[in-house]
Amino acid sequence: MVATPEPRAQDPEPVGAALPRTEPLPAEGTWFLAKANLQLLIDQLRADGRIVLGPTVADGAIVIDEVRSVEALPVGWRDHQAPGHYRLERRTDGAAATRIFDFTVGPQSPKRWTFPPRTPLAVGRRDDGRVRHEPVAPKPPKLAFLGLRACEIAALEVQDRVFLGGPFVDPDYEARREAAFIVAVECAVAGGTCFCTSMGTGPEVTRGYDLALTELDEGFLVRAGSRAGADLLGRLPLSLPSADQLNRATEQRARVRAAIGDPVATRGLRDRLLAQWDSPRWAAVAERCLLCANCTLVCPTCFCSSVEQRSDLDGRTATMERVWDSCFTAGFAKVAGGSFRSRPRDRYRQWLTHKFATWIDQFGTFGCVGCGRCITWCPVGIDVRAELAAIAPPFEVAAEPLAVPAVGGPAEFRPARIREVRHETADTTTLLLDQLHPAFPAGRPGQFVMVNLPAFPPLPISISRFHPDAIELTIRAAGPATTALIGLPVGHEIGLRGPLGTSWPLDRALGRDVVIVTGGIGLAPLRPLVDAIAAQRDRFDAVRLYYGARTPRDLLYREDLVVWGRDAEIEVSLTVDRAGPDWTGPVGVVTNLFDRASWDGRHAVAFVCGPERMMQVTVDVLRELGLADDRIFVTLERHMECGIGLCGHCQMGRFFVCRDGPVFSIAQLGGVFGREGI
Amino acid sequence: MAATPTSHEPAAHSPGARLRVGVVKYASCDGCQLTLLDLEDELLDIVERFDLIEFPEASSSRSSGPYDVLLVEGSISTPEQAAEIVELRRAARRLVTIGACASAGGIQALRNWIDHEAFRAAVYAHPEYVASLATATPVREHVPVDFELTGCPISKAQLREVLAALAIGRRPQIREEAVCLDCKRRGTVCVMVARNVPCLGPVTQTGCGAICPAFGRGCYGCFGPREQANADGLAAWLLADGRAPADVGRLFAGFTAYAEPFRSVVTRLGGTRMTPGSPVLRATSGSAHPGPDPAAEAAKPARPKRGGSDARS
Repeated sequence: MVATPEPRAQDPEPVGAALPRTEPLPAEGTWFLAKANLQLLIDQLRADGRIVLGPTVADGAIVIDEVRSVEALPVGWRDHQAPGHYRLERRTDGAAATRIFDFTVGPQSPKRWTFPPRTPLAVGRRDDGRVRHEPVAPKPPKLAFLGLRACEIAALEVQDRVFLGGPFVDPDYEARREAAFIVAVECAVAGGTCFCTSMGTGPEVTRGYDLALTELDEGFLVRAGSRAGADLLGRLPLSLPSADQLNRATEQRARVRAAIGDPVATRGLRDRLLAQWDSPRWAAVAERCLLCANCTLVCPTCFCSSVEQRSDLDGRTATMERVWDSCFTAGFAKVAGGSFRSRPRDRYRQWLTHKFATWIDQFGTFGCVGCGRCITWCPVGIDVRAELAAIAPPFEVAAEPLAVPAVGGPAEFRPARIREVRHETADTTTLLLDQLHPAFPAGRPGQFVMVNLPAFPPLPISISRFHPDAIELTIRAAGPATTALIGLPVGHEIGLRGPLGTSWPLDRALGRDVVIVTGGIGLAPLRPLVDAIAAQRDRFDAVRLYYGARTPRDLLYREDLVVWGRDAEIEVSLTVDRAGPDWTGPVGVVTNLFDRASWDGRHAVAFVCGPERMMQVTVDVLRELGLADDRIFVTLERHMECGIGLCGHCQMGRFFVCRDGPVFSIAQLGGVFGREGI
Repeated sequence: MAATPTSHEPAAHSPGARLRVGVVKYASCDGCQLTLLDLEDELLDIVERFDLIEFPEASSSRSSGPYDVLLVEGSISTPEQAAEIVELRRAARRLVTIGACASAGGIQALRNWIDHEAFRAAVYAHPEYVASLATATPVREHVPVDFELTGCPISKAQLREVLAALAIGRRPQIREEAVCLDCKRRGTVCVMVARNVPCLGPVTQTGCGAICPAFGRGCYGCFGPREQANADGLAAWLLADGRAPADVGRLFAGFTAYAEPFRSVVTRLGGTRMTPGSPVLRATSGSAHPGPDPAAEAAKPARPKRGGSDARS
């Protein structure tokens, strides 16, 4: 069936989002192209005078070569990639045998044609004291790339920034890029070395294409991203896709994205990497690195080159050619006297820091698109994902990576009913809330919720205990909103959003001594942590809780303190600032309680919550006792309103405390912890 | 190691004058000097710029120098050769070694790991008539070398570049890089990654144009170890992949086995180990020192030069 291409009113697919357009394209929308008609697409491209370059099987890999017929495409082939490993498999059963693009990227990229390995530049002549250089004019072939993936299009955009971003524009690249037509194909499978998801470049194709295909078993969803693409669509037999086909395409993309996961933590990567000029890991990786430069030459964004001269024997004529080069070669950073990067570790460091850090300063983007070629085609399997994690580890974020809160929208307050009101001290009350969204009891120790009573400002309140179908919030009367909340009767409802923020990284303490230090209401966010430890007590060594309050009457959760000490073998030590007549325990700051002789800081993990000044003093003492900064965790208080990193109030250095915290390690906070005025 | 100019100063040569060139050979197959004759398109230019005063493969006219440029092929494997190269060095303003034998010892340097006397006894009926050194060693171990052009055989294009550089009075522009770069420029699919074929390309100096991988074979290391060649790193990967140490060692035990760091890998992994029971199996296999000290060998008193080309064969 041949449909007349017409704009469709409702279209779930994005179309050419990045391309500026002044009028609607004639074939806007997503169409269906039967598999048998893919040949017509190739024919039409060839009819336009283009050489069609597409994937084909050669020498044990899927390479890019001229494709005149669908039969030259890798029908039924699947690739398997791992560090230093690439194999092809021919599938002969079922739908897999007819899939054309069920593989990811091969060793070559379009770079080979937009920035060829050898480009003639000029011919220099010297005659009777006169010197002439005749440039070689670019002669770009009219090409059509069939089957470019999202990461490869992203790579072209990275090279566009390098070669076309100015101030100087490379004429050869410009001519080649303009002469190329791009038929993108969305990945239907995930490769073993892919990480486009981390670099934000794929797997979905969203821009930079003339046509984009999504392969289904029976054919392709196709959309145009440019006028040239739309013109070509108009010459193809298309039909409207069914809802089922659109759904299957969406599911396919989601499957690929899920299969790749998020292998490289890119948040703050530039700064993390640039802080590691002296990492011992550079020398360690250099023992494995062969300096063979394969990573840079398979990279679709690496642009380094050298000019090679070939002169005749009397030096009168010399041809100059631009040749792919690499920062891994000896001559690359050489001057008379030696190389600036003589050691292998220098060269690996140059490459990695350029790709993931300094490239951003130069070109406003990572130099990596996550295609994974440098991993697969490293002959000794060096995995940049692993090296990045080792050299510039992600900040010791408290627990799991940032998660989207279940009830997170800025206006998404859900009701919860007050089942019980428990007065803890003169000014502090615990509300037991039930009949609430299941996301709240499913939260993790250390997380908080935004609480709202209409007409009062929303407040961030830590969850102080989890029950299967309820949570507790412990609130101190510090102003009108808190006073109003704790004055509510049983049965009244309040609004909740969350659970929000990071949690205490209890897994870091497995098999170790645990030190919990807290003051005043700071015990509230720690109580779920102590509950969790008590519930699996045998997974930890000595557990000590040090708790200070202003007076004996200000001690919270007195029954819990007794139960933890008696039933859970948690050593509970209490102190107060001012003793009353019936207090026989210690008086003074909480760190005075530490029995320094009895514990080994190097074996311990500490969780600290209290007023910031108290936490600073505590951290200093814990460091003295041998705890490393990455094993001391604190929870910070800041002005929070949105709780999801969008309102800006709680910013602290590079962090939004609500989203990146409130639980941080001291290592992660670095110089901002305890610094005034941040 | 390849393409390393020594401290000798550049040729103070005025454009237009013909350079007096000699081509000599020691233990080798002649292939490298024939590369000079393979420069067919430029032979006329070459003889216009260079006066080939000694080149037995091409001309019967002989000369004992002095030379502006002496191209030396072959490794030093007899006492006569060891003595003669010292004399020739004195007669040559610039000395350029051509090929794997002259620059790395060549395939015959494998004897540096085994018992030379046992071999002589096994091969020759009257070994006492044969004067040979226990080792075959690169020219550099005997006399200073101005430039080493490696390869088995050398590349025509690189030889041409060296000649052009000598004629013009500049440094040869020979890229110091792995064979891999040429593979990638050619578009060859990596045989190691895609087919698990062991390949010396990552640690080998380029120059051949990456021929073998283009035909599905691993690189044999004909051009020798490249600058900063991480032979240990490559060997470690191949071993981790489950290959037998002797197999990995044998991979490095080719035309440039005696060049470090290949030499260390060959020694460590037993790349030249002979079949058990072989009459020439070295009694002290596993010795830390792979072969006789070449410097000591070279310093031994040599027999008088016999003259003629026989002494160099």
